[in-house]
Amino acid sequence: MAMILEKLPGLTKGLPGGDLVLTTSDYLIDLGRRQSLWPMTFGLACCAIEMMASYASRLDFDRMGVIPRASPRQADVMIVAGTVCKKMADPILEIYHQMPEPRFVISMGSCANCGGPYYDSYSVVKGVDRIVPVDVYIAGCPPRPEALQYAVIKLQEKIAKMSLKKGLATSQQVKGSRDINA
Amino acid sequence: MSDSALAPIDNETIGGLKTDQMFINMGPQHPSTHGVLRIALTIEGEIIKKAIPDIGYLHRGTEKLAEVRGYHHIVVMTDRWDYVSAMPNNLVYCLAVERLMGSKVPPRADALRVIMCELNRVASHLLFFGTYGIDTGAFTPFLYAFREREMVLDLFEMLCGARLTYNYIRLGGVMTDATPEWIARLKEFITYFKPRLDEYDTLLTYNPIFMARTKGVGRISAADAVNWGLSGPNLRGSGVNYDVRKHDPYCGYENYDFSVPLGAEGSCWDRYFCRVSEMRESLKIIEQALAKLPEGPVMATGVAKVPKPAAGEAYAHVEASRGELGIYLVSDGGISPFRMHVRAPSFMNLSMLEEKLIGMKVADVIAVLGSIDIVLGEVDR
Amino acid sequence: MTQDELFAKIQSQFPKIEKAAIQIKDYLTVRLASKDDLIPVAKWLKGIGFDYLDMVTATDYLGPVDMKGYIRQANFNPFLPEGATPEIESAPTAGFPYRPAIDHLWSFVSNADKARVMVKLETPRDGASVPSLAAVFKTANWQERENFDLLGINYEGHQNQTKILTPDFLQGHPLRKDYVHVKDRFDE
Repeated sequence: MAMILEKLPGLTKGLPGGDLVLTTSDYLIDLGRRQSLWPMTFGLACCAIEMMASYASRLDFDRMGVIPRASPRQADVMIVAGTVCKKMADPILEIYHQMPEPRFVISMGSCANCGGPYYDSYSVVKGVDRIVPVDVYIAGCPPRPEALQYAVIKLQEKIAKMSLKKGLATSQQVKGSRDINA
Repeated sequence: MSDSALAPIDNETIGGLKTDQMFINMGPQHPSTHGVLRIALTIEGEIIKKAIPDIGYLHRGTEKLAEVRGYHHIVVMTDRWDYVSAMPNNLVYCLAVERLMGSKVPPRADALRVIMCELNRVASHLLFFGTYGIDTGAFTPFLYAFREREMVLDLFEMLCGARLTYNYIRLGGVMTDATPEWIARLKEFITYFKPRLDEYDTLLTYNPIFMARTKGVGRISAADAVNWGLSGPNLRGSGVNYDVRKHDPYCGYENYDFSVPLGAEGSCWDRYFCRVSEMRESLKIIEQALAKLPEGPVMATGVAKVPKPAAGEAYAHVEASRGELGIYLVSDGGISPFRMHVRAPSFMNLSMLEEKLIGMKVADVIAVLGSIDIVLGEVDR
Repeated sequence: MTQDELFAKIQSQFPKIEKAAIQIKDYLTVRLASKDDLIPVAKWLKGIGFDYLDMVTATDYLGPVDMKGYIRQANFNPFLPEGATPEIESAPTAGFPYRPAIDHLWSFVSNADKARVMVKLETPRDGASVPSLAAVFKTANWQERENFDLLGINYEGHQNQTKILTPDFLQGHPLRKDYVHVKDRFDE
């Protein structure tokens, strides 16, 4: 399937209109990907409890198509919720590599963004973006569950901008920048 | 098909089959290890031969960081040990520093501290109830438990602005007073919540499948529990009557009338039942505290902006939701503690798994691990 | 049992034990004469009802903590005004007896008598070594491993004295006051 999608832009160049014809397939592929984001349950510390609260009764995540999957092989997005300690950094990398592409990472909470309150500790990695590329950062200690849901919405908007012409890469991967409006 | 295929299979009758041991790694990323815990299991068939818990995946070095943080700053760090119930963490640290400095706390602050800790115990046991249901395969109680837990967190948010890491109990008292509207809402919550506890009993406590999975599993004798240094509902589930609130009362607990639930045989079901009964006792304590709530200020006067206790040592302990949480503080007269050691209940409770899991079946590992109710923030600090 | 009764009982059995100079606030604190007293005292205490070993910990008294043990960056928060220094640095206090010693602490609780006794022992810092209580009280097992990992104390007779909390590549004992952090691949 991916090989067909890769060849499509080349094939459609000869048609009148060119790559315009691909916009509907762009829309459909992105719709499928963003409205059924399945995160991996990766709660490390306190932010995990707020993540559990966002899956639970009051702020149901299922209404956005988000179902937690235990195995990384079945997940789209990894929500790193909590402090990333140096001992845990290697398992995080292994799990990230086990996720099939396209994969996204949401960094939840102050510890995963930049080390948080443990900024000078000898055993804390100062931000998970030193290990894996992050798509959305959520500030807070811990962030409210509504903030996590807003971050998933922002990720959905980011996925909506992925297009076949650019090889189905996120705008950040194409431009190499952190500008989400790119 | 020979007769031996129908006979019960154990190691002796396997006969010509060569059996081998398998090494299974449980975690650190696992849906039911309650955080980042890794247990290295060596199993033969279904029986566990060796179990080694591997911790340290959440070791943030708070004991070292405490030596370069001011006394007020450390209260923020204390929330993050047992993040499921953060009020007792704040409380034990404030008690230790107040003991070190010899300062007194106004009586209204004491009563508010008791109310917050008991309310947080209810929230924490609700989370235990929900996640233990998921561990043993029941997904519905989780949603019920979180519906009520959200109400408790709403109350906390109305009071101090935070849902999880409160930083409410501070040196010298509490951060802000409870308004009459808040007390009215708390009373409404208690009247709403009491019948819910009976509802949970029908859901899980006397459910035959749940009882088959937890009654008789993971038995710990009283002598063993004391030797392993267990505390909290794990110790009381084995029948040992040790509750810090009765043994060494603090914050005026000697004035409240409550009983301490004990278990009979120390199995997973007994520990679970202790926790569910403790929720009822907590509601009783909150009602008594509300009835006797004294008037007055909530923060002692004269608490320094940069406290510098005189050189000395102090130890304080409370009955946190998970067990006996203690802090040992050494001060050298500077603006940061010289040494702060945390006696974390989950650390001791987890260490007994090394011995207890041997001889159990693999499916029981999750039941036992869930029943001792650990929080990795406390284990690794 | 009051603190004085308890202390009289202990002294009648072990005359060389005396009250510690600095009492831990509100609890009876005694100081052992030498490390060989530890196991006999522990066993005797277990016999008279102090069968709950609550806490095994130690303090390093070398001096104020060395700031090279922390990973501090200059200009950590670029939004702060000029000259603001919110980060605390450690500084020695005049008059405090810093010394190259490690002060160990054990805490025994009796549920029946509602009493607690804290037992202290001071050993020199280099090659700090005390007997292990893991055979008498199983709860000492992991606590002694933690002290070995973070403070470098050797517990004689401990079956499995290995790192428990810090990552494998971390060198040194972090809670020691002279711990200097060695850069690993996760620091810049």
